Amino acid sequence: MIEQEIKPLAADAPNVLEVSHISKSFGAVTALVDVSLKVKRGEVLALVGDNGAGKSTLIKILSGFHQPDTGTMLSNGEETRFASPRDARARGIETVYQDLALIGDLSIYHNMFLGREQRKRFLGLNLLDNKKMRKLSRQYLDTLGISIPDVNNTVDLLSGGQRQCVAVARSIYSSPSILILDEPLAALGVRESAHVLGLIQNLRRQREVSVIMIVHNYNQIFEVCDRINFLHAGEIVLDASTSETTEEELIRVVKSGLGKNAISAAAAAAEGRAAPQPH
Amino acid sequence: MMNVDLQNNNLKRPPVAQTPGQRLATLLSRYPEASIAVVAIVLVIYFQVASNGGFLSTQFMSVVLRDTSRLAVVAAAEVMLMITGEIDLSLSSTFSLAPYMMVLASIVWGVPLWLGAIGGVGLGVLVGFVNGFITVRFRVPSLITTVGTLFLLQGIVVSIYNSQPIVAPVEEPFNSIFGESLYDPLASFMSSHIITAFTPFLWSLVVILVLAGALAKTRFGLHTVATGSNMVGSREIGIRTDRIKIYNFMIAGGLAAFAGVLNTMEFSSADPLAGSPFLTLQAIAAAVIGGTSLLGGSGTLIGAMIGAFVVSSLNNGLVMVGAQATTSDIYLGAAIVAAMVLNVQVDRLRTRKRK
Repeated sequence: MIEQEIKPLAADAPNVLEVSHISKSFGAVTALVDVSLKVKRGEVLALVGDNGAGKSTLIKILSGFHQPDTGTMLSNGEETRFASPRDARARGIETVYQDLALIGDLSIYHNMFLGREQRKRFLGLNLLDNKKMRKLSRQYLDTLGISIPDVNNTVDLLSGGQRQCVAVARSIYSSPSILILDEPLAALGVRESAHVLGLIQNLRRQREVSVIMIVHNYNQIFEVCDRINFLHAGEIVLDASTSETTEEELIRVVKSGLGKNAISAAAAAAEGRAAPQPH
Repeated sequence: MMNVDLQNNNLKRPPVAQTPGQRLATLLSRYPEASIAVVAIVLVIYFQVASNGGFLSTQFMSVVLRDTSRLAVVAAAEVMLMITGEIDLSLSSTFSLAPYMMVLASIVWGVPLWLGAIGGVGLGVLVGFVNGFITVRFRVPSLITTVGTLFLLQGIVVSIYNSQPIVAPVEEPFNSIFGESLYDPLASFMSSHIITAFTPFLWSLVVILVLAGALAKTRFGLHTVATGSNMVGSREIGIRTDRIKIYNFMIAGGLAAFAGVLNTMEFSSADPLAGSPFLTLQAIAAAVIGGTSLLGGSGTLIGAMIGAFVVSSLNNGLVMVGAQATTSDIYLGAAIVAAMVLNVQVDRLRTRKRK
């Protein structure tokens, strides 16, 4: 077995996405307060936080689904505003939502190409080129190391892990610069999670796609992520690199009563010192 | 290669031995028409034997296939809608209204039949658009929308001319191309008129094949299945599901109008009561026993055609072998329930491992 080295993140890797001082409210509910976040090229960033912390709102802003009330976004250094998910996609940001948006009754290869079907002209008609889509899907899944016995099978026959992999494969087919994954491991068993984590590792190995993922399991964070952003009550209270933080430190920060204290705790954690107890 | 490394977390499942039931379910789900085709063949053999060879005569088949064609075109309309997860109960009213307007326009304003037919089909498409628009924009379930338009249009068509049937003008070759039978059982078998005994059937075959092709081979067909299978997901991918649904309502309305024109030419008379709601229900029955599920996401037009043939064979064949005319409803009712149970069970068996 050839174990390939994971390329370390280049120290001078440019920021592919940089959001600054973003706030968002829905009526009386404040979802995000002055959030700033950066993602470097090829970096895998974990977004963690409790339910209602604002993770979903944040990624929905990044993917163009919601628009921020205030704040700026820089995509590859240029200031941008996403009016719709289509805009974000045009900027190379693909999102895999939790429901995966796979069509159970369609074959895997049709799912891979849904919305960007390959077609051929026949007797003046624009018909689906199923043969080509089948072949390209097969090849593409192979290069990603996703084992799917038959791309002709309908998606409802796949396991949760395989579905997640197909959804991720579909999203990176258009070579995005950023892939956003909303709880890619949520409903998966241990082996299936391993499968999806393997796929993310592959992306990381190449360092061509930046990944922002919402995750809950700390083991998994340390396995595949370069950096962690911890969201609490709409604020990012911790921004730490996984290579400079240990799992215990992270857990301590999370438990240590969040708020302003946590930021100093986070800074301490990021520097590799023991975080001071808040009380 | 990257995939070498994945061997350690590669989730290749040990091959699971399929039970015979699962294998049959997989086969049936791949070819949902298979079971109804077997039923059709058995029925034909039974009626042929029981009627001492009368069932497969040109004369009798002409009748069965005319009924089949009427049902099949309306069933094709329902299949397209059922795939998107919708249904249209107003098709029978469109079936009456469109040819009635065609004949009326011909008699009152001297509009040629072919032009009136185009106008009638256009009217059907418009009705379909209204049904679709109300359903997707105002989020009224299509069952309710189309029960409304069913009564509305039926009320309109009977009040236009005191619910009087109007004799259709004869403008050959239009009439014989679109359903009038010139076939004379006593004339030579080789008479070229024999084909007119089957024109409605040939038209329905064209409709079925074109739609089946569109469903399997076009982006529209793919998006139709996607819409019915997972509407939220389809939207996230960027499919305009509302538009897809409206298009299918328009196709359905146009087809019902076309079936009405064929029917009017066949009987040389436009009857405001030609399409009873029973026609729509029989067409839905044909679609369901043909293998289309009401749950959306899958459906078969070939199956609907065979289903329409089975329904018409039951209706006509049972009378021929001496049963009461109403007996066929008993078989039909039982067949629908059985088909629905089969459809759902096949799907469950097939995906059992996952659910």
